[in-house]
Amino acid sequence: MENHTRKEGGKEAEKLTKNDSFIIEGIDIVRTFKMGEVEVRALRGVPVKIRRGEFVAIMGPSGSGKTTLLNQLGLLDTPNSGKIIINGMDTSGMSEKEKGKFRLHNLGYVFQDYALLPELNAIENVYLSLMMQGKSKKEYESSASDILNAVGLGDRLYQLPSKMSGGQQQRVSVARALAHKPLILFADEPCANLDSAASKQVLDLFKKFNENDGQTIVMVTHEDWHLEYVDRVINLMDGMLVEKNDVK
Amino acid sequence: MLEKAKVSLFLAARSISRGNKGITIFTIFVLTLIFVQLILFSSILAGVTVKFNELMVDYQTGNLVIEPEDEKRYIENTAALQKKIESLPEVLGTSARLKASGSFRYKEKDAGGTIYGIDPNDETFVTGLEGAMMSGEFLSKPDRGEVILGREVSGGFGALMDSKSLGGVEIGDTVEVTIQGNTKEFRVKGIYSTLFFLADSGAYISRADMEEMLGVRDGDLAHEISIKTTADTDEFEFRIKLLSLGIKENIRTWQEFAGILRLIQDVLGIVRNIMSAIGLLIAFVIIFVVIYVNIVNKKRQIGVQKAIGIEQNVIIASFVLQAMLYAGCGVIFGYLLMRYGIIPYTVVHPIRAPLGDVSLGFDQLEAINRAVLLFLASVVASVIPAYKLANKDLLELIWEK
Ligand SMILES: Nc1ncnc2c1ncn2[C@@H]1O[C@H](COP(=O)(O)OP(=O)(O)O)[C@@H](O)[C@H]1O
Ligand SMILES: [Mg+2]
Repeated sequence: MENHTRKEGGKEAEKLTKNDSFIIEGIDIVRTFKMGEVEVRALRGVPVKIRRGEFVAIMGPSGSGKTTLLNQLGLLDTPNSGKIIINGMDTSGMSEKEKGKFRLHNLGYVFQDYALLPELNAIENVYLSLMMQGKSKKEYESSASDILNAVGLGDRLYQLPSKMSGGQQQRVSVARALAHKPLILFADEPCANLDSAASKQVLDLFKKFNENDGQTIVMVTHEDWHLEYVDRVINLMDGMLVEKNDVK
Repeated sequence: MLEKAKVSLFLAARSISRGNKGITIFTIFVLTLIFVQLILFSSILAGVTVKFNELMVDYQTGNLVIEPEDEKRYIENTAALQKKIESLPEVLGTSARLKASGSFRYKEKDAGGTIYGIDPNDETFVTGLEGAMMSGEFLSKPDRGEVILGREVSGGFGALMDSKSLGGVEIGDTVEVTIQGNTKEFRVKGIYSTLFFLADSGAYISRADMEEMLGVRDGDLAHEISIKTTADTDEFEFRIKLLSLGIKENIRTWQEFAGILRLIQDVLGIVRNIMSAIGLLIAFVIIFVVIYVNIVNKKRQIGVQKAIGIEQNVIIASFVLQAMLYAGCGVIFGYLLMRYGIIPYTVVHPIRAPLGDVSLGFDQLEAINRAVLLFLASVVASVIPAYKLANKDLLELIWEK
């Protein structure tokens, strides 16, 4: 299909190349929650385009649909209508199992409250997904310790999450999200529970992976000072896009 | 496939080694008790059966019994037959007996029972009656007009059916014995108790007295010859050997006399199966609840695992593996507790039962059967909640309170 289009040449090819540079393309995403009788329209047809290697922030007031949007883009949830195309692949037809597999290999997540598995130590938390991918013990152990070194936790590989500060836990979480070199890193208010020093550490890490490795990052935040780290902001209001995209 | 199993195993192992130790210990403890409960009744039954059989062999039948040929009332040429059998190396002794049912009378009270006419010297090589005397002494060869009574006949000494007995005969008392219409007075020489009800409902007199009461002239007749063999003799094989010697009389092993006992066993077996079914059901419910609570507490973790792409089957398997490990530990501890704790304890400190001191037996096959059932119960009891939870929407799992 791709080759065929390419052969057409001219405008078609140009369009495709342009499309291709979007690693995520969300088309008219609608997500409605039913709470008994009441319908909450969390997303009312949101279009999103994110380029490969971009560091994008999603902002907006509380309840505006930031988390919901991130969950749709990250394939943690399924929109009622609309399409999400990741890396040229339409994900709307995927089964739950296929989505799980896709997440395992291509996506990484950092949650607000770290969401580490309490029974696994730092390195185990990080290599679990590599193990699931079927990597060898040698491979997953070395990848995991490399990435933990990269987030500055090389001396805490075998520590349990309960023995770590919030900042440290969140850095383990970052390492876990990046260990398998995902296409996209999703982070939902990763600094909400951290003091500003720890927040800065996490954001510096994001910036480092974004700049050095071209890591695409989509981050929900409501702190204005975070904006100096990102390339672009997607503003949400009442489940709709607010068109004041100020690209830096 | 293999890497999936590896992840399940990894998660299960970490969950056990780093999870709540209290829950783990409690679960294993409960499963241990359930397993013990599941096999305890069988063990008691096995113990009772062994005891029954022992008592019967030791105090009544010996290992084999020779009975008259079909349609004959007596074994003839008893002494020669005894000699022939006693010449075999497997034989410790034989006792030729005359027997008849009769009644006893003492101070206006009546009792019934089987009366044996024996040669005391022979009898002591076959049964342990001489050692079962509670009071007085066993018969000796020249004794005439003397009887030894089982406690169910004499009464006292803890007889089970005291009211049907003669109500407390003492050594030296005189009782009237009636056999086939002939009544004669006997002096009570001894009272025995084997704790085996059937054996204790009898009495023994000398052959000569019995011959007289039965009106038998030929001193070489017997109703049965009881044979005691060495401990390592297989009764069935020995029976074949006896047949090959040309013995025409009926030869029966003690197992053939255990008919009533087998009936009791069968009834108890049904009771046991019902108890086992109930036990298993309780086990299932307890395992289900324990594992359910355990899993519900891990809702969020399951959600996170799903989010990062761990397959549902892998997550479910990790819980099932845990349950299997719990069940395995329960079975092993339960087995050890029974095998090296409770059963040896009852050997040293037997349970006082109406049929004597009972030590618990151990039925290996039964134990394996119960272990498998317990194992299956815990697999099912863990699959259900794990499956239900792992199938939930992952965001619900992560955020639901
Ligand atoms: N699972 C859910 N069930 C019902 N309503 C939900 C659910 N998730 C989000 N919502 C509602 O959707 C709206 C957007 O939520 P959310 O995306 O979490 O906002 P934000 O992250 O911007 O604060 C809110 O009104 C919220 O109450
Ligand atoms: Mg939110």
